[in-house]
Amino acid sequence: MEITIDNIAEQTIINIKGRIDTATSPEFEKAIAPVIAGDMKDVIMECKDFEYISSTGLRLFLVLQKSANAKKGSLLIRNMNDDIKNVFNMTGFTALFKFE
Amino acid sequence: MMNNDTKMIKVEHLSKSFGNLVVLKDINIEIQKGEIISIIGPSGTGKSTFLRCLNLLEKPTGGSIWIDDKEIMDPKNNANLLRQKMGMVFQNFNLFEHLSVLDNLTIGPIKLLNKTKPEAEEKARELLKLVGLASKEDAFPDELSGGQQQRVAIARCLSMDPEIILFDEPTSALDPTMVSEVLGVIRRLAADGMTMAIVTHEMKFARDLSTRILYMDEGIIYEEGTPEEIFERPQKEKTRAFIHRIRNYFYHIEHTDFDFYGMRSGLEAFCNKHFFNHTEINNLNLIIEETLQLCFREGDVEARNQIIRNTGGLDLTVEYSEQTKEITILFTADAKLQTIINQVADSDGISYIILQGMTKSIDEVIREGRVTLNLLMC
Repeated sequence: MEITIDNIAEQTIINIKGRIDTATSPEFEKAIAPVIAGDMKDVIMECKDFEYISSTGLRLFLVLQKSANAKKGSLLIRNMNDDIKNVFNMTGFTALFKFE
Repeated sequence: MMNNDTKMIKVEHLSKSFGNLVVLKDINIEIQKGEIISIIGPSGTGKSTFLRCLNLLEKPTGGSIWIDDKEIMDPKNNANLLRQKMGMVFQNFNLFEHLSVLDNLTIGPIKLLNKTKPEAEEKARELLKLVGLASKEDAFPDELSGGQQQRVAIARCLSMDPEIILFDEPTSALDPTMVSEVLGVIRRLAADGMTMAIVTHEMKFARDLSTRILYMDEGIIYEEGTPEEIFERPQKEKTRAFIHRIRNYFYHIEHTDFDFYGMRSGLEAFCNKHFFNHTEINNLNLIIEETLQLCFREGDVEARNQIIRNTGGLDLTVEYSEQTKEITILFTADAKLQTIINQVADSDGISYIILQGMTKSIDEVIREGRVTLNLLMC
């Protein structure tokens, strides 16, 4: 997994490459910690190269969403593949996020 | 139950070894007149050796074979006469290459059954007609296709008026386009009431035609039954794996800190080998991961990990049926663990929702000291 975070103007773009699973979620959690702790309000998750998510990753997405809500900001998920979207659908997560 | 009058062959405790290699351990079977028995099983499990022992092409190491209540290996009995009751059709036809088709069919009856040449030729022509090769009586074997040669071999076998025909993989040396013509002739013999024992890999054929199926494995008749019993409801694990052409991926998990990457890379190689698509690979990974999540990270984690560590770990098996295309994921552990999917009251339920979404069924049973979780993937 590879996470890069770009701050462009008011937006924070989190690029996710690879898998967020049991083995890699601690790394993802560490990578997004500054986004959660900081005052970044509008976050975009760029998922073009995002391959796989398990429940451990979903829980961290939820943490990010909660953080955005608390800051009265926004979280937008972009270019997510169908397999991952399917996991969001089946767990009811689709309703909690905004997709593009 | 058939009465004794119809019993044709009885085999008791038949064994056969080649040096230290034990091929047949203990074969016991009775064959009744009119039965069509298909012998199936993986390669190298002694199916052909069993047939060859029946007519003494291989000398059994132990046991006895009775034909019409006469022990074939008893020196007092004429083994050759008894063997004449059994015809054999081989994988590679074994025709006499230097003889015409007609002569291939008449040489046995003339020399061994004392038939006159005209008698033998008349019967030979009848049989060639039966196998659809009346026009080929003057041809030599090398002028015929594989399928035609095998049909001649069957006709030659019939020319000796056998009471039973033993077929040793009669179609496995044939081009696929020629298989049906040979199976067609065997079907015709079945319709005429010929007793037959057929070693075959043609499962559909075995299923349609046989009155009984023997599944051979581990040097024994591992399971036997009607085609319906063996193909629809095989009782034993190895029969089931063979019938459904099940391929396995196995991984042993010692404890919670197992080699996740090692497990995943093995699984990926298995998936690629069997051409799973991207979604199937994803879903399979998810089922495994979420099950492990529930197993290792919910409830009294410490105590559960202790049990897993101290009772020999957790076994993961992925079964893929090439026949039904079904993917089944099995986890087994010591019954002390009580459950693999440990759902607790304060769980967020996400893992279980994913499991439900990705599977057709989730069953957990405790049997013989083991808890087994069976997940059938959608």
